[in-house]
Amino acid sequence: MGVSFNYGAHRAAKARVGKFIGKTGHLLMISLAIVLAFGGIVLIVLANPVGWLVASLAAWPAMFAKWYVGELSDISAEASETAIEASLSSGVLAHLSKQPSPHDIAAAIGQTNEGAFYGARFGLTANFLLQIASNEQSDTAEIWQTAMDVKDELNLEHLSAGTLVYALVKQLPDHDALLAHNHMELDDIKRGIEWQEHIKQLIKHHSKPRRTGGVARDWSFGYTPLLSRFGQNISQQIAAGGLLSVDLESHADALDQLVDTFSTSGRQNSVLVGATGVGKTTIVHAFAERLLDASSKLPANLKFRQVVMLDSSSLISAAPGRGQLEDLIMQVFSEAYAAKNIILCLDDAQLFFEEGVGSVDLSNVLLPIIEAGRLRMILTMDDQRYLQISQRNSALVNALNRINIAPAGKAETIKVLQDKLILTEFSRKVTYTYQSVDEAYRLSERYVHDLAMPGRALKLLESAASYNENGLVTMNSVQQAIEQTMNVKVSVAAESDDREKLLNLEELIHKRMINQDRAVSVVSDALRRARAGVRNPNRPIGTFLFLGPTGVGKTELSKALADVYFGGEDRMIRLDLNEYVRSEDVTRLIADGADDPTSLTAQAMKQPFSVVLLDEIEKAHPSVLTTLLQLLDEGILRDIKNREVSFRDAIIIATSNAGAERIREYIDRGYKLDQFEEEFTNELINSGQFRPEFLNRFDEMVVFTPLEKADLLKVVDLIIAGVNKTLALQKVSVEVDEDAKKLLVEKGYDPRLGARPMRRVIQRVVENNVAKAILSGIVKPGSAITITASQVEETMGKAEKAQAIEQEAS
Amino acid sequence: MWALSWWYGAGWKAQLKRFLERLDSSYDYFSIGLLLRSLFAPFRQISAGKVRGPINIQIRAFADRLISRFIGAFVRLILIVVGAAWLGILAIGGVIYALLWLVVPVLPLVGFIFMTAGWVPTWE
Repeated sequence: MGVSFNYGAHRAAKARVGKFIGKTGHLLMISLAIVLAFGGIVLIVLANPVGWLVASLAAWPAMFAKWYVGELSDISAEASETAIEASLSSGVLAHLSKQPSPHDIAAAIGQTNEGAFYGARFGLTANFLLQIASNEQSDTAEIWQTAMDVKDELNLEHLSAGTLVYALVKQLPDHDALLAHNHMELDDIKRGIEWQEHIKQLIKHHSKPRRTGGVARDWSFGYTPLLSRFGQNISQQIAAGGLLSVDLESHADALDQLVDTFSTSGRQNSVLVGATGVGKTTIVHAFAERLLDASSKLPANLKFRQVVMLDSSSLISAAPGRGQLEDLIMQVFSEAYAAKNIILCLDDAQLFFEEGVGSVDLSNVLLPIIEAGRLRMILTMDDQRYLQISQRNSALVNALNRINIAPAGKAETIKVLQDKLILTEFSRKVTYTYQSVDEAYRLSERYVHDLAMPGRALKLLESAASYNENGLVTMNSVQQAIEQTMNVKVSVAAESDDREKLLNLEELIHKRMINQDRAVSVVSDALRRARAGVRNPNRPIGTFLFLGPTGVGKTELSKALADVYFGGEDRMIRLDLNEYVRSEDVTRLIADGADDPTSLTAQAMKQPFSVVLLDEIEKAHPSVLTTLLQLLDEGILRDIKNREVSFRDAIIIATSNAGAERIREYIDRGYKLDQFEEEFTNELINSGQFRPEFLNRFDEMVVFTPLEKADLLKVVDLIIAGVNKTLALQKVSVEVDEDAKKLLVEKGYDPRLGARPMRRVIQRVVENNVAKAILSGIVKPGSAITITASQVEETMGKAEKAQAIEQEAS
Repeated sequence: MWALSWWYGAGWKAQLKRFLERLDSSYDYFSIGLLLRSLFAPFRQISAGKVRGPINIQIRAFADRLISRFIGAFVRLILIVVGAAWLGILAIGGVIYALLWLVVPVLPLVGFIFMTAGWVPTWE
């Protein structure tokens, strides 16, 4: 027999009484007590002895009001009991009927605040639960059992609404598919239960009075007027309840190390080294909080010590002169030392050790103090800056006790976000869904490079608050925030025009590309896979090697893609690899954006959603190609500062002229592309021009065929369409006779250079004639200019003559 | 009955716990333990610290330090006395409250007796 619910149990009955009284009843009882007490006193004053009874009767409603607050409003679980009614959260318990079906349980959950949490945070609303819950009472036992199992697994005090939500969803046979629709898994509900429990614990923790040493705590320590002026007393802020710090397991080690350093007799300083956003300042806050807590186990020489964060900018502005600043620093430090209870914190300590905007190199003043190790100091520093400073000043680094702070993992980051968001939710009047937090972690990991976790995810979530939907910050809000700030597309194509564009990509590209159907089709397929969400997210959208002679449209296809899909030709990062022929050029490829904004990594950081065109790849040095292997394989390239730069939202296109002559031979011998493509690729590998492991990294190798004269006629049309677009401002257009087009093709065709000379020829003939017609006033706005074969002959003849004279002269 | 069993059981215990917490909070506020441990420490570190120099300067520094310690001890003693008095008042108040708590359910009976007796205070 499964677990069952005892409707008549005392706890259940009490819960129903509590529900019956409710907040309104409680208020009524208090009012009644006041009225009776006051009325009784008035009667007594008026010498009426009935007043005694009336006044004393106030005791009973007052007693009931106290009972409601003390017990009924939140009946605690009976720890020793394992029965459902003994541990079920009182909110749900109060709303249950005698023999509840899963549907009744869902209805009860829907009426509690606990249940509302899952509606807002997960989209598992009361209506949703009512729709999925069965009406069969025989299914209830399984619900209870599953909920009890979750309660035991998560070590909960109550059988909370969350455990029941989990059980109700799990009972549904196709729950995975249903939850996938909400972008979540069954286990995410468990994470939600933990989140809710954590919030309850936080509220409980913060509602307790703080023991922070009392009124005479600082009487044995000195006054610090200068420090108050140039620093921020974190301990005071914590004591006033202004800072919310987060207890993190990864920070526990760093905190213990700080306590160790300051409670032993060695040098009384520590430097927290870690990437920006990793939580160094948060650790300092947590340390200050621990020192203030009277109940924490700390050596007496650390208890109630105050952490003061020095403000470098106010120090510099108060003492602009060189000597003045050093004097002021010495005064501040002397004051801190004499006070005997100060731990100085130099946040972003590099500002005190290097010259720059808002920073001054005070190494000469600070080094003796740090080396002496008597003044307690905590420094925080970015790991890269720490390395730079250690190169310049090894004595300084040797005098500091280093504590490394590693970026938080996913579980910890989510915890930090959930804690920090409490304040953001309050100040921005929004509610973050669980999915939004999860999505912020995923997207920030990929797109936010200048911060470490958890700072990077938090930054994204804070900006996502501006894209809330009816007060809810959803996954969509986070996607919108990253799309707006990073100019990338991360959401699955949902807009109808976006979908239309994807479905008709080939057609759109062919508006500016002639022939090369296979090439157009493979890149279009890759894009459709990406935007439908079915591609591998840990690789670039597509990696292609375009092979073929020059002037056949390899670069043009890349430009067309950037224009049609990514929104403009400027969304193309182009690298001519014939400029990367030495092994040292690898450094240039991955240079820091601050030093070289044209490096591949710097450009991809700024514009991750783009076409990356690696032109003439066969000319690059093997070391450069080896560097590019990881990019092609995992969509990641580490820059010179070892930051991961993502290419996972880019299409990587490498072009090469290698084997162009061989392609032409095949075509001349009458082969079609599909007949020789495979053999040609094998020949290319065998020739040793590309290493097989390099070629294997590409999704597709696409051979471009040389353009024939029939194709070039279409190219002429495209170029003339471009000219007409330019002329549209002058309200004139140009038309070219068929004979003239054929003549243009004859003049512009060069089997070695493909369509490339065509533009030159057309520019010379068409644009020159149009320019003359406009200047001579032959054409009027709204009219069309027709170019004939004779005009082509005439212009080209003149050009050829000019060329001949030029050659003779030279 | 449930209300009464809570009143004399968990309710009374909760009041007692709250009273002890209040006592603890007041003890922390007046920091009597800390005051006793640092009773003779220089007040606010005024004139504290080692002074080097000729004997007359050292003697003067010693005297200054002594005054600072004396002021510190005086101020601390005052706070210890005030704190102890407050804790005493709080403790007595807490005991009275805990006892009153026990008679609240029977107050209407007391009122009924008073009414039956017909006594009312007179203001002349």
